[in-house]
Amino acid sequence: MSAAGSVLDLSLPQLALALLLVGVVIMISVRQELGIGRDLVVGSLRAIVQLYLVGLILAVVFHAARWYWVLLILAVMTAVAAQAATSRLAKPIPGARGIAALALTVSTAVTLAYVIGVIVQVRPWYDPQYIIPIAGMILGSAMTSAALAGDRLQGDLRVRADEVEARLALGFSGREAVQPMARAALRAAMIPTVNGMMTVGLVQLPGMMTGQILAGSSPLLAIKYQLVVVFMQAAATALASLLFVRLAAGRYLTPAHQLCRHLL
Amino acid sequence: MAAPPPPRDPLFEVEHLSLAYAGSRGQPPTPILKDVSVGVERGGALVLVGPSGSGKSTLLRCLNRLAEPTSGRVRFDGRDVRSLDPRELRRRAALVMQTPVLFEGSVRDNLRVRPAGTPGDFSDASLAAAVVEVGLDAGLLDRDAATLSGGEKQRVTIARALLRDPQALLLDEPTSALDPPNAALVVETVSRLRELRRLTIVAVTHQTDLVRRLGGGLLYLVRGEVVTYERADGAVTDARLLAFLAGEHASPATGRP
Repeated sequence: MSAAGSVLDLSLPQLALALLLVGVVIMISVRQELGIGRDLVVGSLRAIVQLYLVGLILAVVFHAARWYWVLLILAVMTAVAAQAATSRLAKPIPGARGIAALALTVSTAVTLAYVIGVIVQVRPWYDPQYIIPIAGMILGSAMTSAALAGDRLQGDLRVRADEVEARLALGFSGREAVQPMARAALRAAMIPTVNGMMTVGLVQLPGMMTGQILAGSSPLLAIKYQLVVVFMQAAATALASLLFVRLAAGRYLTPAHQLCRHLL
Repeated sequence: MAAPPPPRDPLFEVEHLSLAYAGSRGQPPTPILKDVSVGVERGGALVLVGPSGSGKSTLLRCLNRLAEPTSGRVRFDGRDVRSLDPRELRRRAALVMQTPVLFEGSVRDNLRVRPAGTPGDFSDASLAAAVVEVGLDAGLLDRDAATLSGGEKQRVTIARALLRDPQALLLDEPTSALDPPNAALVVETVSRLRELRRLTIVAVTHQTDLVRRLGGGLLYLVRGEVVTYERADGAVTDARLLAFLAGEHASPATGRP
């Protein structure tokens, strides 16, 4: 485990003080009649339980440091991310969860292998201290971009179905006919990442850099890691949204170059 | 029911066509077309009428295979459409939609939109001729397509179809998004083209004017089923069809309700 000599430990009463911050939010919700008080309470409880459990599991995995435990954790993380990426679609894309799982697995595996194996050169590769937080950050970006891409693709195909059919009627293939919508979805998925790169460090310090500095790293070491993180997240975003859009668009097309309007 | 007689030299043959979309989550399938059979003579016309949701547009889309029937068969020029490349079929049976779809760019760009390898003459002279053929001014070629009126747009989409030298035009309510004068111009264009080019025409329309001008067969669909088939050039005799057409005639400008 990492040396963190300079970190101040938090006692349980101190943590309880943090809950008062949620109390402020609940008070605002009640006063302003936002109707999200119950969600806030549930959300806070979930955060406590989820993070505590994750902390326990990670402590065990870190201690054991076996590659199969690490892979199992990564698989669970990917499954949850695939579920989350597709759960808020306006109308379900057929087979969306499987598509998301595939897109997230491939994009994360490729990016992770490069970062762990080539850039940081972690030995052994499954050292949980590195691979789990890095995989988490990659998955997080991939998940968000796949969700954005899916939402935009579906909305565009529905609104622009006539345009797709017009192209098909002109003799274009299914793939060619949905190309403008696929491109728009990819752009929508990648814009937050590009914007994030523009303002990184200026508007807020990224979470990982903040964590490293809090844990006692020098800011100059922290930014080196943060740069790797920014670039790997960009790669994961592009790969995940490209794969997701390709596969999801295919669900609305048939081999006979037809648009399945009834699925939109 | 009055089954349409088989044409002598059919371009389209629709045989016992049914189409249903799979129901989602335990719902029964939604039937759209039920056992529809009809033929269209080469160079002839067929008009599909019926209340909204009767499956007219879906039937039209089965002809160029934008929609896939659940059972039954469509033949084009004697061949099962499933044995043709759909992209080739759609060039030969060109679809004109209710709301004209024009892409970003000039009218010229729009007329030239095509997949690589599309046969046909897309030279400037040919584009100008196509624009004139649909009753527009050749000077329109350099206009931004977005600035055209609805009627102009619809005629540009017809010109775009003509440049592919189709054998048939499939018209999906080509006039219902237009005001009466523009609708009349489109009706005029379509009937003129039909005579000039010996085009086979299948049209979904509420426009009694277009029904009369096209002549040919008149197929009345309700909830996906053929209620009756008549020759539109003769006197319409079926009381239900007469009532339907009369109802539509009373409000000619209404589109899809």
